[in-house]
Amino acid sequence: MTNDMAHGPLLAAPWREHAPARAVAWQTDAHAEPSWQTLKAFQADIGAWQATLDMHAESPCRWMLSTHDPYRFGCALIAAWERGDHVILPADTRPATLEALDNLGATRLGDLPGGLMASATPRAPRWGQLAPRRVAVSLYTSGSTGEPQRLDKSFAQLDAELGMHAALWPLDARLTLSQVSHQHIYGLLFSVLRPLCERSPFATDVCRYPETLLLWLARWHSQTRREAVLISAPPTLERLPETLDWSTVEGVLARIHSSGAPLPRAAAAHAQRLLGAEVREVYGSSETGGIAWRVQSRDTGWTAFPGVEVRNDDAHRLWLRTPWLSTPDTWTPQADHVTVEGERFRLLGRSDRIAKVGGKRVSLTALERALGELPGVRQAHCTPLPKRDGRLGVIVELAPEAVPHDHDTRRRLTQSLRAALAPRFENAVLPRYWRFVEAWPRDAQGKLGATCLSRLFADLDDPRTPRWLGETLNGPHSARLTLEVPERLAYVEGHFAAQPVVPGVVMVRWALHAARDSLGLHGVCRDMTRIKFPLLLLPGERVTLTLNATHETARNHVEHHVQNDAHGSGMMIELRFTFASQRGTHGTGTLTLTEGAHHA
Amino acid sequence: MTSELEQELKHLIIDTLELEDVTPEDIDPDEPLFVDGLGLDSIDALELGLALQKRYGIKLDADSDETRHHFRNLRTLAALVEARRTA
Repeated sequence: MTNDMAHGPLLAAPWREHAPARAVAWQTDAHAEPSWQTLKAFQADIGAWQATLDMHAESPCRWMLSTHDPYRFGCALIAAWERGDHVILPADTRPATLEALDNLGATRLGDLPGGLMASATPRAPRWGQLAPRRVAVSLYTSGSTGEPQRLDKSFAQLDAELGMHAALWPLDARLTLSQVSHQHIYGLLFSVLRPLCERSPFATDVCRYPETLLLWLARWHSQTRREAVLISAPPTLERLPETLDWSTVEGVLARIHSSGAPLPRAAAAHAQRLLGAEVREVYGSSETGGIAWRVQSRDTGWTAFPGVEVRNDDAHRLWLRTPWLSTPDTWTPQADHVTVEGERFRLLGRSDRIAKVGGKRVSLTALERALGELPGVRQAHCTPLPKRDGRLGVIVELAPEAVPHDHDTRRRLTQSLRAALAPRFENAVLPRYWRFVEAWPRDAQGKLGATCLSRLFADLDDPRTPRWLGETLNGPHSARLTLEVPERLAYVEGHFAAQPVVPGVVMVRWALHAARDSLGLHGVCRDMTRIKFPLLLLPGERVTLTLNATHETARNHVEHHVQNDAHGSGMMIELRFTFASQRGTHGTGTLTLTEGAHHA
Repeated sequence: MTSELEQELKHLIIDTLELEDVTPEDIDPDEPLFVDGLGLDSIDALELGLALQKRYGIKLDADSDETRHHFRNLRTLAALVEARRTA
């Protein structure tokens, strides 16, 4: 409460102030002297975005905004706000997600295919009017418990929550370093809006990897001798490597925040030991905003945020009354189960999930528990597939030795799993669509959300795509995907009746699609070299697709560069792909792509 | 030995019911289609009934004993189609 003066609500628009030299954001790439985006530069960048927006649509209109970095996100968001426009934050950048928003009449802004960028010339911004009931942003739930839902947040709602956090955990001029997406409520509030409203600097870029975190913390401290706050999430904190020398940045972090899912207690201890700061976990949801917090090294129970009231009913269901909802005076039931014990409460997990398949009710929780007890199964998640009459799909994480690698072993496995469940569950509710994974698929928030789920079952709707079973990104230019060849794949039909195979040209197409979906490469394929298909790829076979992209300087490809000048760009990308299974290499080669300017 | 009609019915079953890990070779003509063998259920029976009606013009009462007999395995199903097809 020492620094109430530093916090200004969104409705007071602290970015409009006349304080040209105030540091808004810290440039992560400056080596020696600190380099800032000052309030003066920030205002000019807001103006530059407005110049672009003015050229494309009259206010009020709708934009969908997504950027990799918090700084440009803040500029574009405020540019639209001050024009009086409505900003939608897509939960991810998958084509289907974006096309649905295109259909709402929202124009793409930022790092989206065809997204508009700020005008190159800084310009004086135009300030408009913000109102408490006006919708500031629309965002989407992760969809981990159903279809993603759109949620509208008004300025008053956001301000209520921002003010509470500022009073509870003031930033006090510390640097905010973000490791999470600002497209969701937690990142939006903690990584962008809090520092803006509390007049504390945030890092211009998002800090994805532990090596970067170490480097930036060391750089920040040597430049300013000030502290920092880390906005993180369980997947990142759980994977902090012991091998880095964290002792060099001891004391630089004042605190760590984690949200998205409960952080395992061991992971909280691990992060606190390596980074030397407490982990203050935030429990909440896109719908409700922040509900409670805890520091596990002190107490594993959760404490409701000031202003939030929590109780449980006889069935242990959580009921909430919170000022950040549009109905602050009403108690509303939540999906989570809790036990309230005095000042704190314990999370017991989600309510039993019930699905109806062919008119028969089934507890998904019970089905998952039963699967989890079978040999070789580590965990399972069942999901009704609406386009398949609500039949169940299931994601099963297996011990490596239990993973099926071809049609016969996969079929024997699904039959034995179904047989093991048959005595306890009706035939109709047994899962029909099985996805066997070695690592639990998670999105950026650490959840098995709607995007993951739709990728896992996408091959059911498109008989030309392989079955996606997970991927690991190794830096921005390299990915490893686990795929399976669906038996019903359109391309294997009618090739040879006796021996259906995946044609080589289809593997090339898959590699290009994977480069687009996983590495964001939207280029056009200009050339193929060293293409080989040493081993037939068969229906039912499990393969690993490895992609490595090298961005070549245009100088090495002068003739291509000239040729592509008409498109306004000439970045050449060499994409190396390999399809390999337990049996050997099925396909390999190098594709040359030219990445042209995106056309919407 | 699988007849041409049986082969056709295997494809019909796999396509209609979207059985994702079943190939025609996996369907044994003498093995039960429901519960134990292929693991089909009562909803599948309805779907399959509709598909037979569409493709071959055969009308079935989904819940009768007679239907249950015809749906026992691929061979009985082929015999039904052979005897009653109008299309």
